[in-house]
Amino acid sequence: MASRIINFTLNGREVEALARPMTTLQSLLRDQLGFTATKSGCRQGGCGSCTVLVNGEPMTSCLLPVEDIEGEAVTTLEGLSSPDGLHLVQQAFHEGFAAQCGYCTPGMIVVSKALLDHNPHPSREEIVAALTGNYCRCTGYEPILLAVEDAARRMNGREGA
Amino acid sequence: MTVKEYLLPRSLDEATGLLAERGPSLLVMAGGTLAMPLINEGISIPERVMGLRHAGLDQLTRSNGTLVIGATTTMTTMCNHTEVPLLREAASNVAGWAIRNMGTVGGNLFAPPPAGDFATALLALDARVKLVSHAGGERLLPLAEFYTGFLTNALQPAELLAEIRVPVPAGRTVFVKFGRRHANTPAVVTVAAYLTMEGGKVRDARIALNAVGPHPIRARRAEASLTGSALTKESIARAASAAAEECQPFTDAIASEWYRRKMAAVYVDRALSQVAA
Amino acid sequence: MSEETYQVVGRALLRRDGLGHVTGKTPFVDDIRFPDLLHLKMVRSPLPHARLKSVDFSQAEKVPGFVRALTHADVPKNMYTILCLIGIGPDEEPVLAVDEVFYKGEPIAAIVAESESAGMEAAAKVRLDMEELPAVLDVEEALKPGAPVIRPWGTNYFPYEGHPCRRVRFGDVEKGFAEADHIVESRYQTSPMEHAPSETTACIAKPEADGRFTVYTNTQALFFTLDNTALILQIPFNRLHFVGGTVGGGFGGKVDVIVEPLATLAAMKTGRPVKYKFTREEEMRVSSTRSAWRMSFKDGVMKDGRIVARKVTSYADSGAYNRHTPYAVTKHAANVAGPYAIPNVWIDAYCVYTNRQPASAMRGFGVTPASFAVEAQMDKIASVVGMDPWEIRFLNAYRNGDTKPHRKIVEDATLIEAMKAAAALTGHELPEHLLAMNSWDRGGSRHG
Repeated sequence: MASRIINFTLNGREVEALARPMTTLQSLLRDQLGFTATKSGCRQGGCGSCTVLVNGEPMTSCLLPVEDIEGEAVTTLEGLSSPDGLHLVQQAFHEGFAAQCGYCTPGMIVVSKALLDHNPHPSREEIVAALTGNYCRCTGYEPILLAVEDAARRMNGREGA
Repeated sequence: MTVKEYLLPRSLDEATGLLAERGPSLLVMAGGTLAMPLINEGISIPERVMGLRHAGLDQLTRSNGTLVIGATTTMTTMCNHTEVPLLREAASNVAGWAIRNMGTVGGNLFAPPPAGDFATALLALDARVKLVSHAGGERLLPLAEFYTGFLTNALQPAELLAEIRVPVPAGRTVFVKFGRRHANTPAVVTVAAYLTMEGGKVRDARIALNAVGPHPIRARRAEASLTGSALTKESIARAASAAAEECQPFTDAIASEWYRRKMAAVYVDRALSQVAA
Repeated sequence: MSEETYQVVGRALLRRDGLGHVTGKTPFVDDIRFPDLLHLKMVRSPLPHARLKSVDFSQAEKVPGFVRALTHADVPKNMYTILCLIGIGPDEEPVLAVDEVFYKGEPIAAIVAESESAGMEAAAKVRLDMEELPAVLDVEEALKPGAPVIRPWGTNYFPYEGHPCRRVRFGDVEKGFAEADHIVESRYQTSPMEHAPSETTACIAKPEADGRFTVYTNTQALFFTLDNTALILQIPFNRLHFVGGTVGGGFGGKVDVIVEPLATLAAMKTGRPVKYKFTREEEMRVSSTRSAWRMSFKDGVMKDGRIVARKVTSYADSGAYNRHTPYAVTKHAANVAGPYAIPNVWIDAYCVYTNRQPASAMRGFGVTPASFAVEAQMDKIASVVGMDPWEIRFLNAYRNGDTKPHRKIVEDATLIEAMKAAAALTGHELPEHLLAMNSWDRGGSRHG
């Protein structure tokens, strides 16, 4: 079977990529398209560092053949900031010291954004539940959870910590 | 070592047709949460793969007291489904958000132990699976008969699992999972139970256990010990003890056989005590 | 200079790499791309101890995308030991196995290929002819007479100046035991611990036009690894340019010399950039861990709570090779008596080799397992003597001017102050006579 052309939307822009059968979205993004914010930590769907949004829903891109997302809208960390600046979640993470080595950060931010899009007023339990699929080995998680709470406050129009 | 052919059928008919054509070497996957890790690491090197994500098998309907779940219905869909609390609880205990968006109900039936917590809830509800082949039509099989052994099942060559039928439960249900972490964790033991009561006594008890056998199992002796009894501390303890004795736990990286057997008793007791409360 | 004028001290300064992390722009090794990049995949021993009779590449060579294989014969100086740079010898670990393997996962041959999947397929098709040998998998079994000897110098322990272990001798423990009112004996066992960083070990070695090699790496020890790489490849140090410092989680797991020598050698042989990245399975199963420790304590304790004698026998499971464990054992011996003033101490700390995954550095290696055992032991002592666990520690805490068992004089002791602060933070009320104690005078300490 030859390579196929796959069309989908990436961070709001149309993408046309040539891919061998079952190339994962993770591999396409990182190796072919140069979108390296999405990381590769395990290729087992276990660590969450490869998490992207497909139509606003978190999915582990290491387990996703690109054929499966043809025509869909994919969002990666690169799609969060704009010429006007950082997304509020990114700001909250940066100002809240919620990143140390930075490797889990893209997955954490992308899932946090999806959570706040679905649920603008999450409880601590809901934030924890949303992020259980994303592993961090450095921060002990607390600064990340605080950053998400802070991001929620900012997004709801109240000043952050 | 790259896959030579990846097929994405758009209907069940097309899928069974491809399966009949390509033969048993065709690897079938739905959400990819079980197959892709093996392919990514070169443990599984299939030449041909069929993905069922877009084959229209994700419909969730209800017909006459039976919930009909398409095989590629995702865990997330089940989490949002409120009609059968047991299935909602079971689905929300599977992995994390991203995996639930991808992992399917059907796929859970093929998950190697100690995975298969959602299937355990299905087992407690006496679910039946619909197996379909291109030439041979379709057949309905009780889930308990679908499992034939460790990593083996009753699926015939050229058969696909198309849907799962679950009688909507009328009695009390409970789902309890014990893992090394609070969430996103493989089970040490999982208990799904469904009891119908009559006149203060148990008329029908279904107790399904996971991670204490080669696949999800029904604790038949525990069930029998409860039938016709009231739910008391003693009858519950008796059932818990029977369950621990009849199960066949194994040792893996998560827990030892010894610990799983002990926890089977503890968690059957806790589950039944929750139902009684 | 007053505190108000401080620009940095006392201020929360945003990380200079923070923006890179939250935008995904921080370049990790795996994010770096070269158009002609090759991939290195390792063939590893499936057995913990075996004779390696032959390696057959004939099927591997047929895989489309196979470029070449590397064996020990290709490595200019195949035997090394990481700490040779600070005078610790001998060179006892092969970069690639020669005729015997000593742990499951030990590197045997490197496959260099056009793609990662070609590399994986070719590596899987390499055929190994091996003869399994008896393995030692337990530290005490490894030291018994008749155990298979797995180190070239003829013992399963690292020799410390002619002795089989690191030894501390202070006072007379037997006299202390004879005088003691209670003897408290316990055995403690810790497990190996894997760092499990989010980012796996990786490097890319790239040949430059001027004959140098640029190595992009996530090692924690840039210069250490550069020097060892140069020694292994027998090239002047100035031919290597290591670029790094961006580590997706280290914790001591990226201080060994793991991927750079072979990636650089492959780049030398092929003239192309070569990436060698651990899979998650390699990171968990093969990369170094914190060593497991087995520690036996025998303490002599007076009924007033003073510890008068402590005898510790410890075994560190170094796995198949040295790495940083001889150093860990030295640190352990210096710390395992605990921050307590004990007049009679005997410590034997062994660095033991087994056919297991080599252990190395991790967050306080050698010392944190000792702390676990020491503090569990203190609680046991408190229970035997019938004293409050806080009091037992206040009583025995060393003060400034005390002599530690390895002859260092205590300076700037703060155990008592730290315990007071911990008690205050947790709302635990300490009795007056403990609150009156401090680290700089003997008031309350029963030791002279």
